[in-house]
Amino acid sequence: MTTSTPSLSELTPTGPRQVQVSDLAGVGGRRRAKNAVMTALMGMSVAVILVVLILVLWTVVSKGWSIVVGMFPDWFTEDIQLSPRRPGPGMKAAIVGTIITTAMASAIAIPLGIAGAVYLNEYGKRGLFARILRFFTSVMAGVPSIVMGLFIYVFWVVPRGIDGLNGFSGALALACLMLPIIVRSTEEMLKLVPQNLRDASFALGATGSRTTLGIVIPNASPGIISGCLLAIARAAGETAPLIFTIGAAKQTNWNVFDGTNTSLSLQIYANAKESFATAQERAWGAALTLIVLAVLFTAAARILSARISKQS
Amino acid sequence: MTLTLSDLRTKKQVGDRVFRYSTLVGGAVILIVLALIAYTISSKSSLIFRTEGLDFFTERRWAPSADKPVFGALSFIYGTAITALIAVLLAVPVSLGLALFTTQVAPKWLKKPLVTLTDTVAVVPSVVFGLWGIIYLAPRLVGFFKNLSGWFDGIPVLSSIFGTVSAGRSFLTAGLILAVMITPIITSLAREVIETCPQTDRDGALALGATRWEMITGAVMPHSVGGIVGAVMLGLGRAMGETIAAALVIGSSPTITANIFSSGDSLPSVIAFQWGEATSDEKRSALIAMGLTLFVLTLIVNFAATAVVTRAMKRMQGAS
Amino acid sequence: MNRTKKSSAIVAGILSLSLIAAACGSDEDTTTTTEAAAATTTAAAADESTTTAAAAETTVAGGVETTAAPTESSTAMSADTGEAVDYAALQGDLVSSGATFPKAFYDEAIATLSEEAPDLVIEYGGGGSGKGRSDLQEKVVDFAGTDSTVKEEDFAKFTGGEFVYVPTVLAPITISYNMAGIDELQLTPATIAAIFQLEITNWSDPLIAADNPDATLPDEAIVVARRADGSGTTDNFSKFLNAAVGPDTTGEWLLGTGSELEWPEGTQAGDGNSGVAQIISSTEGAIGYVDLSDANANGFKFAAVQNKAGNFVLPTLDATTAAAEGVEVKDDLTFFVGWADGDEAYPIAAQTWIIAYTTQDDPAKAENIRGFLTYLLTEGQELAPSIDFAPLPDELREMAMANIAKIGA
Repeated sequence: MTTSTPSLSELTPTGPRQVQVSDLAGVGGRRRAKNAVMTALMGMSVAVILVVLILVLWTVVSKGWSIVVGMFPDWFTEDIQLSPRRPGPGMKAAIVGTIITTAMASAIAIPLGIAGAVYLNEYGKRGLFARILRFFTSVMAGVPSIVMGLFIYVFWVVPRGIDGLNGFSGALALACLMLPIIVRSTEEMLKLVPQNLRDASFALGATGSRTTLGIVIPNASPGIISGCLLAIARAAGETAPLIFTIGAAKQTNWNVFDGTNTSLSLQIYANAKESFATAQERAWGAALTLIVLAVLFTAAARILSARISKQS
Repeated sequence: MTLTLSDLRTKKQVGDRVFRYSTLVGGAVILIVLALIAYTISSKSSLIFRTEGLDFFTERRWAPSADKPVFGALSFIYGTAITALIAVLLAVPVSLGLALFTTQVAPKWLKKPLVTLTDTVAVVPSVVFGLWGIIYLAPRLVGFFKNLSGWFDGIPVLSSIFGTVSAGRSFLTAGLILAVMITPIITSLAREVIETCPQTDRDGALALGATRWEMITGAVMPHSVGGIVGAVMLGLGRAMGETIAAALVIGSSPTITANIFSSGDSLPSVIAFQWGEATSDEKRSALIAMGLTLFVLTLIVNFAATAVVTRAMKRMQGAS
Repeated sequence: MNRTKKSSAIVAGILSLSLIAAACGSDEDTTTTTEAAAATTTAAAADESTTTAAAAETTVAGGVETTAAPTESSTAMSADTGEAVDYAALQGDLVSSGATFPKAFYDEAIATLSEEAPDLVIEYGGGGSGKGRSDLQEKVVDFAGTDSTVKEEDFAKFTGGEFVYVPTVLAPITISYNMAGIDELQLTPATIAAIFQLEITNWSDPLIAADNPDATLPDEAIVVARRADGSGTTDNFSKFLNAAVGPDTTGEWLLGTGSELEWPEGTQAGDGNSGVAQIISSTEGAIGYVDLSDANANGFKFAAVQNKAGNFVLPTLDATTAAAEGVEVKDDLTFFVGWADGDEAYPIAAQTWIIAYTTQDDPAKAENIRGFLTYLLTEGQELAPSIDFAPLPDELREMAMANIAKIGA
């Protein structure tokens, strides 16, 4: 804070939105100038972010376009090239891998997360256990993704030896990442459900479970789904939890429980370290695919939440 | 529908109980998993602490394959701290500017698109930023860095901070990428905090003849400072834990130096790159210990951030 | 208070459950139970090419000297070419990881083999020799690639028991660089040591000039690129420097040997040979050690290095084969082909192996492993030069085939 509030002697009878000659002269002018400079700086920060975002998106799209769209179905139907030097498309294995690991992770995390949020908001509320749970949910949300991957590797993969590297292990790591996010966002959504709805339900003799399942959750469902979609988008883009847990397959593997797998994020990571233009091109293509996926999920989430705010 | 006594003890109640406890189990899973993480990580890292004790944190050398292996985490802690610091220094002005612009300057029709802009940056996965950083940005930055380094030639302190440039992968590049990634977090939280500033305060300032900037500094900022600090700290926590984007552009070469153009290494990147070959139990334990360190550090920062934000929110609720 | 008691009880119960679960789950010493290795012979032996065990002391022209008689267990003793492997009949999955030095060769071999053996899916994940060895220790992979030998004290860590080395291919390690204005470069081991230890930091340094009297060297900073991960390439590179100018000779190379060295601060590190290649290709003034295949694929310029005989030799396949002539091979087929004798020998030639357990639980898997390795040592050897790898000398190749027979035997 550099300027003090204007002193009485500087007051003009009209508000700052009306320009008067006296405003432009002397101290008033300096203040105006400062305001203009600061506004310009704020505008510049918008410009900076805009430029960076456009630059990133433009690079991804322009470099990934020809391999994803230009060779149309091949990108989605061909398996990954066996050698990084060989040119050509094919990310089917990674696309499938991303889909099945994220789907499996969601199948684990979403029911557990919603259940936990229901407990927190409907049953536990301000109780001791609920407070502990909320606290640790925040803790878990802050665990770096690489620590999650490390944990699953040491705890789950190693005891299983070679069979431990599969889509399921990766899904476990992703589920650990998704769980606190889903709990938090679902709890927020449940909070928004008006209490009188619940009261009315109880008054009609319904049990807690009936109320929750029949009234509260359906009422909050657009918000819950929105939160879940965001968590899914986040999980689909994660790399670190998968590095140690799903191996490095190049062939498509639909079986999430058996056999190594790969994902779009891992392929981007691996190809980013290659010097060959052919490999790098595939990285950009995978990046494009991943961004489109993430954007789709996020957009769906936004549309849903926009619909809620329209309703309320 | 009237309640009768017989309704009270029926299958409904049992089913209800079951439901209630199953939701509890759902929540409890979090506790179980966390306890497991804590247990696994601590027990596996205990080996290195038994061998090296607390020297692990102060030792600068990282020599896992030497005849007498030395495992020192200091270079990596340094790298994590420096890149996070750079990220915050770069991100805060931009995020604040963005948040202020969105809430105070932008006309109504522009607000929504600006929010979308911010959120779109958050949607881009971290690995894509890493890819962009290593292939697109890093080579192009070398020339720019060299110019920058030239400006500060000869000036005492600054020339060691802006020292010799060898390649595009450096602390600064990693800091830049991280800054882009944490901007949405700081911005959206700051926006929320700023928006809770009561309209009356703002109107009052304007009515007194303040320019918009004076209104911001006089009414909005004092109100929001606490929350914004909390937001920044949350961003800091995120920057410290971010693995892939930073790992690809930091250089993977453990170094402790003030020169931000130098390559270095950080806790998450060394774990990611070196994990695959834990050729000794000690090395594996050392890497897990680094994971533990990272975990604890981010925990501390996140807690402090939450505490600050909560306190600020409470104070604001009290005021209005 | 009733509620608090209940809550505390629940918390305590959950915590104790989780502790128990943790104790069970993170049991590090549980090895996957190996089913009794049943009839190991039979079908396996019939399908693959029987191998020759070279008799002690014979030196065929251009062959490899062996120091001792081959070991006992290699049963087949007959003809050079045994029955061919029926690649088309091989089916299953193989997972492997390890050295990135030969990765280009393995990738190509896997790709061409898949045309003959479409039902066999082989995955070579790379990751560095260190990763390969530790993955094999944990039996997370079926076999591993490594450019450097396993240390004696690490033998016990291999939970699958005994393993064999199968040398697969040779290649030169190039000293590649990216510096406009220098088209040809000659370097002595001493200068290389000085560069990589950051004792000289500029391309116009007198030491470099001394090696290149006719060249005009630009006044540019040198950026050293080296490996971030545990690398057999680093190991072989450092062994060369150690043999040439190490503490036992002139004492100029001080960083010792190993897959990870304690590099001075200020070097750039890359992940895998490809990571180092990436640094070199994107950084002006960079110099680093990369396998020939990656160097050529990136169009790098590389230095001619002075060999033991005093000649400056470029990293060609012929020079690599020349280095392999007369090299001493131990019983277990480990050897070191760097800093070799010979006028034409390239001093930084390197070898690489695939290691696999002799005891295999699954005969079909053993057959697949043997099939792949046989392919590498037969058709693969013909494929190698096209991607800048040198085939093994015949004697060595035959000894390698003998070792293949031990897998799952």
